[in-house]
Amino acid sequence: MRTVAYYKGCLASLSAKELDTSTQALAPKVGLELIELEAVTCCGAGDIHEAEPDYYLHLNARILAYAEETGADTLMTICNVCTLNLRQANHALQGDDALLARVNENLVSVGAPPYSGGVEVLHFLWLISAGEGYELLQGAAHKGLKGLKIAPFYGCQILRPSKLLGFEDPDKPQSLERIIAACGGEAVDYPAKIKCCGFPIIQAREDVALAELIQPIEQAKEAGADAMVTPCPLCHLSLDAWQSKLYKQTGKDFQMPILHLSPLVGVAAGLDSSELKFKRHVVSVEPVTEKLSV
Amino acid sequence: MQVALKIWRYDAVAGKRALREYEIDAPEEATLLDCLDIVKDQVDGSLAYRKSCRMMICGSCGMRMDGAAVLACKTRMYEIARAGHVPVISAMGNLPIVKDLVVDMEPFWGKIRAVQPWLEPGYSDPGEKEHVVSQERMDVIHKESLCIMCGCCVSECNSMESDPDFLGPAALAKGMRFVGDPRDRATVDRLQSYSGEHGIWDCTRCYFCNERCPKGVDPRDAIAKLGAEAMKEGIDSDMGAKHAKWFVTSAKTTGWLRETELVPKTQGIAKSLKEVTFAMGLLKHGKVPPPVPPHVAKHVDEARALYDLVQVQGRDGAAGITQSEKALGRLEHAHGGGDAAQRGPYGSGAFAKPFLPGEEPAP
Repeated sequence: MRTVAYYKGCLASLSAKELDTSTQALAPKVGLELIELEAVTCCGAGDIHEAEPDYYLHLNARILAYAEETGADTLMTICNVCTLNLRQANHALQGDDALLARVNENLVSVGAPPYSGGVEVLHFLWLISAGEGYELLQGAAHKGLKGLKIAPFYGCQILRPSKLLGFEDPDKPQSLERIIAACGGEAVDYPAKIKCCGFPIIQAREDVALAELIQPIEQAKEAGADAMVTPCPLCHLSLDAWQSKLYKQTGKDFQMPILHLSPLVGVAAGLDSSELKFKRHVVSVEPVTEKLSV
Repeated sequence: MQVALKIWRYDAVAGKRALREYEIDAPEEATLLDCLDIVKDQVDGSLAYRKSCRMMICGSCGMRMDGAAVLACKTRMYEIARAGHVPVISAMGNLPIVKDLVVDMEPFWGKIRAVQPWLEPGYSDPGEKEHVVSQERMDVIHKESLCIMCGCCVSECNSMESDPDFLGPAALAKGMRFVGDPRDRATVDRLQSYSGEHGIWDCTRCYFCNERCPKGVDPRDAIAKLGAEAMKEGIDSDMGAKHAKWFVTSAKTTGWLRETELVPKTQGIAKSLKEVTFAMGLLKHGKVPPPVPPHVAKHVDEARALYDLVQVQGRDGAAGITQSEKALGRLEHAHGGGDAAQRGPYGSGAFAKPFLPGEEPAP
């Protein structure tokens, strides 16, 4: 078992609880022991980075410090936006002793542990799509996806900027495809899988966001996908919940089931419905579960 | 070495597009631009593309290779040719095509002009001496000053594809270059202007601009700096700014995002009331978590105290972002998996679709 500090972020604590339960249930099957961080806050989701960037840096340093305090060398995330925000702060602190010293002085003065720079932030996707995690996944996904056609949707902030993320080619990622194949599904390819879902501006600029959102869903549908999968709960929320708005705006009723990464693997690994919580999806996942007779 | 290229040709007179393949013999050190020169000299003199300096400073030769915007003069072909890959060369996206690889840059320049890219000095005559700007102040706009206005960022901007009026990454980065200049006296006017409907808060944070920029400008970071400066000046009436502020309020009160309150705090009560039917649909599936009792992080008092501390430490506004640039600037654009030469074309639609003269930009 590899022990990792686990940062679930805001959505998996609130509107996307199904992502947390399925990740916790799946982790031991892929060789991960999760130490959940409790004394941590929101990473700022890019919004605090823009509104109060110095506060953003301190909040993320504090999360990294609590992760380091567990003794683990890895902080595991399950959200693209958390991943980028934490990795950006981590690189900034690891590469600048003076900056780290100032932030640490502030952390200690409010009673938080200092951070020495010894943690690497890795998304769950990366842990199970390569190396030992991938080998264990291949064994765990014994129930299989029975040839289900899945459209991988990466979302932006797990690919770009690649100098901060750096796990795979940002223009031709393959990690989700590898996982889908290992679970016995068939990955369908479509151009917009690396584009934006519009979520960051879906409240402030809904029309612009919807014009972005429709592209991956429409292309996945045309490519024959039974469902889409995404490693980001924010992408999940816009792809899943805002389909009704696309219908209202364009008359196109996609009814495209959207899966988080953990439940997709979880189905193949035989997790039960109390862990998968498919009823928490806005667009019904029934066409998928019927095909798989879950 | 033998180099094969596929080039999307466009004949403006006939209004026809065609994908043509060319094979040429080029020296091993040849760039994509060198290869285009050879095609034009030896194979087809009618091929149109822009070039000037050939050394990554004039910004003329922006185009797409396999769907990704590049400077042709910065792109070496050796590894690609050696791998036997035949890249697809096409015009940049989000701008109308004039001929072959030449786009009409007028919409680009129009947006650059809209941010008033000149200094508005408000200072008195320095007399005998010069105005001295400290290195610390120059650091704030160092990256933005590197822009060569090639358009690679604009080519792939996901927001501009959906809102063609979006000022976009190049113009906003240029705007930050003046907002951050201590000699400029139009800062507040600029920030108000850039905070309009198609400005700062239109950015969807897809980070294509940072990924594609051949000069390390990181336009998305420049847009974040503008957001931080605008909010520092109290220019925060846009829904995007209100959205960002609610995350700060959430972090210092409960630690976690107060998710259900985010919509009324962003859109206002009147507008969010129109969303009741939509919200009810989400409520059925547990997507509207009850705000009471609040989900409070353990030791949230530390997050509150940190907020108060940083308010008085002088790293507010863009300085809060600039302070990280020294460390982040050392990172190379790189990724662990794959080889650029192995990249295949995604086909049309992989990125913002180039639109042709007479066609309407994407809705």
